[in-house]
This record gives sequence, structure tokens and C-alpha cells, in this order.
Amino acid sequence: MTTRPDAGQRLRRLLAILSWLARVGRAPVSELSDRFGIRPEDLVADLELAACCGLPPYTPDQLMEIVVDDQEVVANLGEELARPRRLTAAEGFALASAARAILATPGSDPDGAMARALGKLDAALGGAGRLKVELGDAPHLAEVRGAVEDRRQLAVRYYSLSSDEESDRIIDPVSLVSVEGRWYLDAYCHRAGDMRRFRLDRLVSVSETGRPAEDHGPLPEPATEATPAAFVPGPDATVATLAVDAGGTWLVEAVPVLARKDRRDGRTEVELAVASTVWFERLLLRLGPHAEVLRPKALTGAGAEAARRLLERYRAAG
Amino acid sequence: MVDRLERLTNLVLVLLGDGPPRSLREIADEVPGYPPEGEARRQAFERDKRTLREGGIVVSTAPVSGPDQVGYSIREEDFYLPDLDLDADEQAALNLAVAAVHLGDPSGRDALWRLGLPAPTGARPLAELPHLPALPVLWEALRARAEVRFSYRGQPRRVAPASLRFHGGWWYLVGLDLDKDAARTFRVDRMEGLPVPGAAETGTLPEGFEPTTALAEEPWRIGEGETVHVELLALPEVAGLVEQQLGSAAVRERRRDGAAVLGLEVTNVDALRSWLFELGDHVVVLGPEPVRRSVVEWLESMAGTS
Repeated sequence: MTTRPDAGQRLRRLLAILSWLARVGRAPVSELSDRFGIRPEDLVADLELAACCGLPPYTPDQLMEIVVDDQEVVANLGEELARPRRLTAAEGFALASAARAILATPGSDPDGAMARALGKLDAALGGAGRLKVELGDAPHLAEVRGAVEDRRQLAVRYYSLSSDEESDRIIDPVSLVSVEGRWYLDAYCHRAGDMRRFRLDRLVSVSETGRPAEDHGPLPEPATEATPAAFVPGPDATVATLAVDAGGTWLVEAVPVLARKDRRDGRTEVELAVASTVWFERLLLRLGPHAEVLRPKALTGAGAEAARRLLERYRAAG
Repeated sequence: MVDRLERLTNLVLVLLGDGPPRSLREIADEVPGYPPEGEARRQAFERDKRTLREGGIVVSTAPVSGPDQVGYSIREEDFYLPDLDLDADEQAALNLAVAAVHLGDPSGRDALWRLGLPAPTGARPLAELPHLPALPVLWEALRARAEVRFSYRGQPRRVAPASLRFHGGWWYLVGLDLDKDAARTFRVDRMEGLPVPGAAETGTLPEGFEPTTALAEEPWRIGEGETVHVELLALPEVAGLVEQQLGSAAVRERRRDGAAVLGLEVTNVDALRSWLFELGDHVVVLGPEPVRRSVVEWLESMAGTS
């Protein structure tokens, strides 16, 4: 059973639909249902209800003029309802920061439609010049962007965190995406035979093969390295249970965890899927004395083992 | 029984309507569905007002004559925005922005709804920014030039906000710390609890306030610690990668086996250690001794607890 949205959410959506109808006059039920993410039967019910709303004395001439049948909605609602409405702080911030993020992507037109739209938005909302979104630079960004735009195939050498290896790969770039301040390239990887997400700052070298990128049809969202295979428990993933103290609770924010609960000793118990031992060891190094692996037995010594190996390097370098 | 959605819709239309602010008695006469006079009616109306407020609709109060004394209305300027006059391509641009920038909540979609723009259609994301509940509060404070109070590193702070900035993967608030009378930069995700804004114009900035705090890209330079010059040894397997990240100017020495010694300025040793460990056992701190020592001790405390 799906939960029915509360009256506040229904009102928010109804006002949006009325505002849209006030502009367009008529629209197919199916189109409104898609546009506003509402089931056709709920849409019809809410609009039939709205047709009984208006101003006192609620005589027909004072009600909203909305006619609904199975296929189409016809409305005559006047200009007032078509006017844009004031945004909440969260909505204004979302729109202003999203537009700025697009303008911060390399190659965006500083005088284009987005910049003009943002100018008008800032004029209405205020706050121009006080909100800045920078997506930063990354090694090979310009080169990779060119390859994405012109659909050129690339040969890259990539350092993979989860396998701790460099590998040469032929890839067909699909898109660039900035995730929480880091640039990634989504591409079809010929070695993997599937979509992969590459962190630009782990690309050791990039060159062109001289061939156009191949078209692989609609492709699924790639598995990422920031959200390593680790987070979608695959067949080879092990579930590990850790106890972390206050100094290690950042873990819960930094990696998707399968489960968490508070322990009586004040620590937090966290379950995560581990697909790569290398990745897990590095996570444990960062957590240091703030974490203890409780289960499985095969991994309880992983942190100590990684620490000893790294200490060995320190002795050799010292 | 009147559906609550119907009562709310009529309430909005009546309060937006012409005429002076209406008392609760008048509202209940005009809007079907309120309980008969008494406490139940008052409670139902308060609940409706709260629902409207949560949906971003402000109900204003004003004194009126008569036994009720208080009248309610939705002021036009609180409900409508001045028309943005967006051209078709500008509307499409805002749609793209909401579809392609993922902010972790539906506020962008709600904004488009309120502006009467079509909902976004699926697009490959171009950017994902972290979602933090403090951001809209801070943004509202910036626009209202209101001071904000929040707890940071266990200390209460009072700040006149100057700008909000997304940089290097983090949101920062830059402003004047009113108690320290100095420019400060705060990581928004490190604020403890939601910041509390003051009234409008309580956080105005002195004429010509220009925070010079350049935001560092590298995590180990974000912090208020003393600057330490740290030397690292990057082993051959990652030397190229580390040089690419730190820039060739950081290279102090290239060794024959392909390893490199690099120098960097560090103000946050914890962040440096975290970054180093992401590179596994391929990077080692050479000095200065206190920093090297702290990394070794961290590792020894781990190695000893097997």
C-alpha cells in the first residue's frame, strides 16, 4: 500500500497544477499525471474537488471553472493563478545553486540562457554575488571534455583504488559529472565490457586512439569508485561489522552503510559490504584507533595487518 | 464531512481575496468545514495555518475591530513573485538546471512548480552537490542581512554572513565573526545543529568588508592550525599521480627508481593523514619529525591491537 500524501503536500501539488492549467487552459490527464508525478485517478479526484472550491457564496459563478473527464482537463482560471509564486528558502536556494552549478561546468556559456535566467531570478530573489558554486578543475578535464563532446575514443591508464593497480583501458566517453566536488568520467570500458565511472584525478595518462567513440545504446548508470562496488553487495561482497567511537562516526556519512545501531558501550555498530580488501584496509587506516572490526573473523586483523605493512615502509624510508 | 484539501484550498482563495483582513469568525463563516465555534475551531484553524506555513504560504495577522480583534490575510507580495519574464530558452535552462544538478531533495522541483514551469524530465546528471539542511537557513540570512548563531567546534558563534560558497566539495560560510570581530570561514557540514537566524539587518557588514580568506582546494590546508612544511615520499607506483595532484612545483627531488619527494604546506594534519591513507602504503611522511611521529604512532596503535 502506498501512503497517501498529507493535505499539505496535496495542496502544494494542487496549486502547482492549477497554476499550470491557468496558463495552458487545457491538458490531457495523462500529460498532467506525468508532469506532476500523480496517479491519474488521484489527479481527477483532486481536480474534481478543486472544481467545488472558490469564493463565497460558492455559487457556480464563484467556483473555479474546471471540467474534468477521463481524457482531458479544461480550465478557465484567470490570470491571477498563473502568476509565479513566492519560493520558500529551500526552493530559492535549490534553484539558485543549481543554476550556478551549471554555469560552473566547463564550457558553459557565461552569456547564455542559463546566465540570463539566473540574472532574472537573482533580481527577484536577491542574494546575487553572495552565493558561489565552484566545481573546480581536475587533471585532463579539458581534454576529456573535448572527447565527450566530439565523441572520440580514448586510451587511458587508470589507477584503481579498489585493486591498487594501474591498468590500460580503451574507453568510449559518455559524460562528465562532478560529484561532491570531484570530477568523474562515465564511459564504456572495453576491458570491463560495461559502463564504468572514472575519477579524473586517478587518470595517470590520457590519449586519443584516433577512432570515434562507439555507440553502445542506452547504458545503465555506472558503478562508481567513490561508491565502490562495495556499496551494492555483489556476489563476492562480504558484510563486515565494525564498532566505531565518536572519532569514527564520520564513516556513517562518508560511505553508505547497510545498518547501524548504538551499542551499550557508547560506540556505534556499523555494517558495510566489502567487495575489495584494499579499499577496506584503507578505510581502516583512516579510522585508525577509532574502529574495531567485530565480524567476520577473516577481517578482524585487517587493520593491524595494513598498519604493520605501512610501518614497514616507514622503517625502510627512515 | 469536508475534505481537508478542499478546506485549505478555499482558505487560500478567501485569504488572498479582496477586502480587509478577516477574523476567525468571518473565515469560518466563509470557508466550509470548520467545527462550530469554540476551542476545536481555533485548533483546526491553527493547524491549517501551520500547514500553509510549511508549504511556504505566509498568513499575516493585523488588528481588526470587533470581538475577535485579530484578522488574517495572505498578502499578495507574500504569495506572488514579481513576474520573472523568462523567455522560453531561459525557462528551459532552469528546467535543465534542476534536472541535471542533484541536490538530494525535491526543493528544485517544488521551485519549478511554484514558478509555473513544467517539471523536469530525466537528464544525465552534470553535478551532484551535498544536501545540508543548514544551507537554506544561511541563504535566507544572507539575503536578509541577518546575523546567524550556531555552534562550531563546541563554541557558540555569532556571524554576520558575507557569502556562501561551494568549493572543493564542501559548502562554506564566509562572514564576520561578531564576537572575535574578524573574518572567518566555516564548513557548513561541521556546524552543530541548525543555525539560528536573527532578525533582518542584524548582521550587516562593515563598509568594504572583503574577506581575504582564500579557500584552499586541498583538504590538508583547511583548518586553523599552524602551517607546517611537510615532506612526503611518493613511491614509484604513485609518484606520477601524486605529482599530478600536487603540481610539479611541489617536487623537491626525483629519485632514480621513479619515486619522488614532494613538499607541501599543511594546516590540518588529520586531513593530511586521511588523504595519505587513501593512497595505501605508497606514500610516506619524511618530516618534520612531529608529523612523521604522529602518523607512526597512529599506525602503531593500530598494529598493536590485533
